[in-house]
Amino acid sequence: MTLLIGATTIGLILALLALGVYLSFRIFNFPDITADGSITLGAAVTATLLVHHVSPALATLAGFGAGVLAGMATGLLHTKFKINSLLSGILVMTALYSVNLHVMGKSNVPLLNETTLASQAEGLGMKWLHLGVDAELHVFGWTVGLRDAATLLAMLLLVAGLGLLLYLFFRTNLGTAMRATGDNPQMIRALGVSVDFIIILGLALSNGLIALAGSLLAQYQGFADVQMGIGMVVWGLASVIIGEALVGSSRIGLLITGAVIGSVLFRLLVAIALRWGLNPNDLKLITAAFVFVALVAPSLLRKLKPAPQPKPSEA
Amino acid sequence: MLAIANVTKTFNPGTPNEVRALRNVSLVLENGSFLIIIGTNGSGKSTLLNAVAGSFYADSGSLTLAGQTITRWPEHRRAKLIGRVFQNPFSGTAPSMSIAENLAMAAHRGRPRGFGWALNQRLKSELRDRIRSLNMGLEDRIDNAIGTLSGGQRQALTLLMASWLKPELLLLDEHTAALDPKSADQVIRLTHEIIQRDKLTTLMVTHSMQQAVHLGDRIVMMHRGQVLHDLQGAERARVRPEDLLKRFDDVRRREQLDPTVAEMLQRNYI
Repeated sequence: MTLLIGATTIGLILALLALGVYLSFRIFNFPDITADGSITLGAAVTATLLVHHVSPALATLAGFGAGVLAGMATGLLHTKFKINSLLSGILVMTALYSVNLHVMGKSNVPLLNETTLASQAEGLGMKWLHLGVDAELHVFGWTVGLRDAATLLAMLLLVAGLGLLLYLFFRTNLGTAMRATGDNPQMIRALGVSVDFIIILGLALSNGLIALAGSLLAQYQGFADVQMGIGMVVWGLASVIIGEALVGSSRIGLLITGAVIGSVLFRLLVAIALRWGLNPNDLKLITAAFVFVALVAPSLLRKLKPAPQPKPSEA
Repeated sequence: MLAIANVTKTFNPGTPNEVRALRNVSLVLENGSFLIIIGTNGSGKSTLLNAVAGSFYADSGSLTLAGQTITRWPEHRRAKLIGRVFQNPFSGTAPSMSIAENLAMAAHRGRPRGFGWALNQRLKSELRDRIRSLNMGLEDRIDNAIGTLSGGQRQALTLLMASWLKPELLLLDEHTAALDPKSADQVIRLTHEIIQRDKLTTLMVTHSMQQAVHLGDRIVMMHRGQVLHDLQGAERARVRPEDLLKRFDDVRRREQLDPTVAEMLQRNYI
């Protein structure tokens, strides 16, 4: 049970990554690789600040802010210097590797004894329920550690809240302009919107969300590591694709929900596969293969489907 | 009023692919006038429209619209003054967004966009009314994705969007060229109605001599990046499609000769 709850919590945290990837890949059609660097950046900034005893809320916010800056950098490279979208992301991601090392001062920052959002969530849970640190809850007949339950609930609320905010944002004037920018840049330019500005804004928002995922992940697992971002874009994309398959609709609210559910589901699948003896070294290979199949399968299936036979005419 | 003064544009300068698309073009368009631009392929008519819209900056010359010098304004800033319909029916609308959302964006053309709701009941009922005036039965489908509509329907909606906030200048770039004849007729009728009703200053590019003769109050014929003929007033009133076609033939005949020979012949015989 602890395994499932842990996987669900990480899935929820990484749902923010999925939302960020959804924003850049799906809304803008912008294959933004910055994510690999910005998720680590969020973790690095938050972890370093926590070690220096900054309050967890502030440290988390700073992690988000750092991601916003990283996204803006990619956006500026692409729009102002006309660098190809993929390359802009790769440049910033590569640069971020050094930045992250500088921020942390070493390749790994442990957070064992620091106050984090995770430990604060536990504290709140204990206060509300008047229980001790190692108390257990009984939910539907299962025994659940209070610590795990509190963190899970906190993440659920946070992700639901941010997902709702994102959904509402997409219904504002600015948000519809952002969606149209990805859909038809020529049209939205003719309606007086600076496409450059919207792309920079969108990438800032996307990488902010992704860095927030990194920040929360570091606090949950108790360390930030300079390698933790590797392959995260593909991970996020896999979640988004699962979500799209689940909801099977192009409505934005459903797609956001789908990305969140996709992230949790994917994490659970991976946790179960690992439990069954999947070699952790193969994880990235399998994730990449999964995304490949998901990208290719729809058109393959269409081809395999036999063309409708003409009805024999009644002569 | 739109004033185009000595506008020049060369694409790929200094390369074998150099194209002198606009050569010192000057045109003044009075408020409320409806100018039709015709010309052969590569004559620079669409380039002129794009230069006004701001798809690129002119190499030299100046553009003035509604008392403001817009020569160095980026495209999205000019959109505050200009409404635009493209040749490709897919260019003017965002396909995955609903009819209502597309129109709501047009209702904010050139205005700052913040965190206000893009759609509200009042706007929805207003745009339902305006869509009803198209007589296409689209008013009951405003929450459908615009990508599900036909080219003609999308072009009619683009026209509605371009003119939603009365623009200082309406640019129509062969906006019926990609449509079937019936849809083209419908869109042309709508174009006429909207321009008449709102007295819009309009610049329209077309391949159709019929449209050139039956719409608008002035015809400009372009050739090789220059204004070749400018038909206004009485001359414009007399013109028939055949006359325009004859002028095209003249151009074509001259084209077959060396430019210097053509010039000599013109000097001596015309």
